[in-house]
Amino acid sequence: MIHIKKLSVLKIFDKILPEKGSGWRSFAVFATACVFGLGFFLMKEAEVVSYLSDNPQACVNCHNMTPMYNSWNHSSHREWASCNDCHVPQDNIFNSYYFKAKDGLYHASVFTARAEPDVIFMQPASIEVVHNNCIRCHVQQVTQTKYAGFIEDHQSNRTDRLCWSCHKEVPHGRIHGMSSIRYNIAPKPTDQEEMVVPKWLKKEMETNN
Amino acid sequence: MKNKILFVVTLIVVFGLGLLASSVINRKSEAKYMYVPQVDIGENEPRNAEWGKNFPKEYQSSMQTLDTTFTSFQGGSSTIDMLEEDPNFVVLWAGYAFSKSYKQGRGHAYAIEDVHNSLRTGTPQSKEDGPMPATCWTCKGPDVPRLMNEKGIGEFYAGTWAENVSEVVNPIGCADCHDPDNMKLRITRPALIEAFGAMGKDINKATHQEMRSLVCAQCHVEYYFDKNKPGHEGTSYLTLPWKNGTSVEDMEKYYDDIGFSDWTHQISRAPMLKAQHPGYEVFLTGVHADRGVSCADCHMPYKSEGGQKFTDHHLQSPLNNVANSCQVCHREEATKLIENVYSRQRKALENRLKLEAILVKAHIEAGKAWELGATEEQMKDILMDIRHAQWRWDFTAASHGASFHAPVEIGRIMGSGMAIAAEARVKLARVLASLGHNQPVPMPDISTKAKAQQYIGLDMDKLNKEKNDFKNNQLPKWLEEARAREAKMGTKKVSQK
Repeated sequence: MIHIKKLSVLKIFDKILPEKGSGWRSFAVFATACVFGLGFFLMKEAEVVSYLSDNPQACVNCHNMTPMYNSWNHSSHREWASCNDCHVPQDNIFNSYYFKAKDGLYHASVFTARAEPDVIFMQPASIEVVHNNCIRCHVQQVTQTKYAGFIEDHQSNRTDRLCWSCHKEVPHGRIHGMSSIRYNIAPKPTDQEEMVVPKWLKKEMETNN
Repeated sequence: MKNKILFVVTLIVVFGLGLLASSVINRKSEAKYMYVPQVDIGENEPRNAEWGKNFPKEYQSSMQTLDTTFTSFQGGSSTIDMLEEDPNFVVLWAGYAFSKSYKQGRGHAYAIEDVHNSLRTGTPQSKEDGPMPATCWTCKGPDVPRLMNEKGIGEFYAGTWAENVSEVVNPIGCADCHDPDNMKLRITRPALIEAFGAMGKDINKATHQEMRSLVCAQCHVEYYFDKNKPGHEGTSYLTLPWKNGTSVEDMEKYYDDIGFSDWTHQISRAPMLKAQHPGYEVFLTGVHADRGVSCADCHMPYKSEGGQKFTDHHLQSPLNNVANSCQVCHREEATKLIENVYSRQRKALENRLKLEAILVKAHIEAGKAWELGATEEQMKDILMDIRHAQWRWDFTAASHGASFHAPVEIGRIMGSGMAIAAEARVKLARVLASLGHNQPVPMPDISTKAKAQQYIGLDMDKLNKEKNDFKNNQLPKWLEEARAREAKMGTKKVSQK
């Protein structure tokens, strides 16, 4: 099997690459390697693998997301919900990754083209996803039938508008955009330090006794 | 021809990939300069103002602890002369420096100044002189982690108070609780880490919410100076007595087992314990702790300025900021909430004063018994009762917020304190009767601080004069030394990196 596969790959290469023995042959191999090498370098620089995870730190790979990251990081939602829990559909894994890929490529293209706005608002598709995710966790708060009896317009109030039409502060605060933060003190994706005792003190305490 | 096309296509693809890579790298390096702070804060940077250049809102709000205008029923931010307010303290602490002066401290920004001013720190004439060890500085500011890093922990504790007057000059601030790299909360005082170790816990496992109380628990806890710590014999090694647990009985047992006493009472000769300020331990027994509320939730709630939400670093009584503390959870009028707090404090105070009165009598009656020739054997149990009863009294009194943080626990502790103190007085009555004294022991007039201090034989005029001399002559020289040292520290701009 492996042998056959190898052969068919070689065949494709043979079709594209210049004749064996021609002067172009070695240069073409070199150029192909360049393309792949550069591609891998690009993937590494862009931290491509991090986007497969649910770690919110992947979202601050782009500095535009720092205001959102910081406001979330100071909210109570931090303890329970990551970026993906709200901004990516959670109905099934294929849909999750499909939406994430679609959204991510859109973000990446806008960011590369330097076309990102100063204040970022959600697209209609995203609004639907986030709204459904609010309900996913808070279903009991929004479907209490007992309220229908004594709260006026309870049925329409909870169906004809968005959660954040009223809960404006949740979780990113009322002010959006670059001006809402001063400095980025969000941990960098490389910071995985869990210790609350500083390194120097740990060392001192070990040598102390 | 085919080869030429291939060459051109590859060229374009590689060029495009290169552009994309360059764009990714560019945008990544933008992140390094976007929102980048003004200065580079070094590990253990002790100068709060340096941190303030990067975090002006937090720094400026922390500077508001300089405000001393708020006074509540039992505390607030102004200096309160506790001995003046309750002269019983003078007799209860007779023979211990607390009987000379005990004032409610002001906000964090005054931590250093208040220590300079206290009569308890004495009037050292040289760096080797004075009654207090360097350990007394441990909680006073971020110069301490710096010194512990430079000298070593045991080596720091082994020094004198006087030699550190020129070293510990920045009041409680940023580096005490924050990691300079990412502002995460951290623990910089070894005593708390060691106490967790003694209880078989690892402080690194603490959640963020627990950390919002534990950074406070670095200082607002009961502690003692262990002079027998292996490897540090003779050093006043700061230790939290938490090995058996953090309740009043657990810590009492700990002290009894190792035979520790802070001082011997001047009148009753009882081996006394001074409860320092078990604020955190008492808080843990209250309903707010049970519901997962942290110190910071009420004492430094969130605040918003110009659309930026941040933690208010004006550490103060929540009663001066009811809207952002209590009312976040409790939908009641501020006046009602404050009254709820005061009523708990008033009720606790009622019993505290009763317990104090019994304790004062017990000390003086024990003094009378010694005077009439009582033996060690006769007095042994009585003195232990006095020790235990006063430990309970001090435990409820010393952490100022106790009667609000855990009113039920405080009621329980005072109740058991009264039972023990009453038992001591019954035993004393028997001893006195056996010595031929079968009538009430006359009590001195201790209605004011001055009268009480005169009764226990303190020459306050002399002490105050010596302190003033120290503050006018020796202190400025040492502070000048500190200024010269700090002037050389400089600032590291981020752009110089």
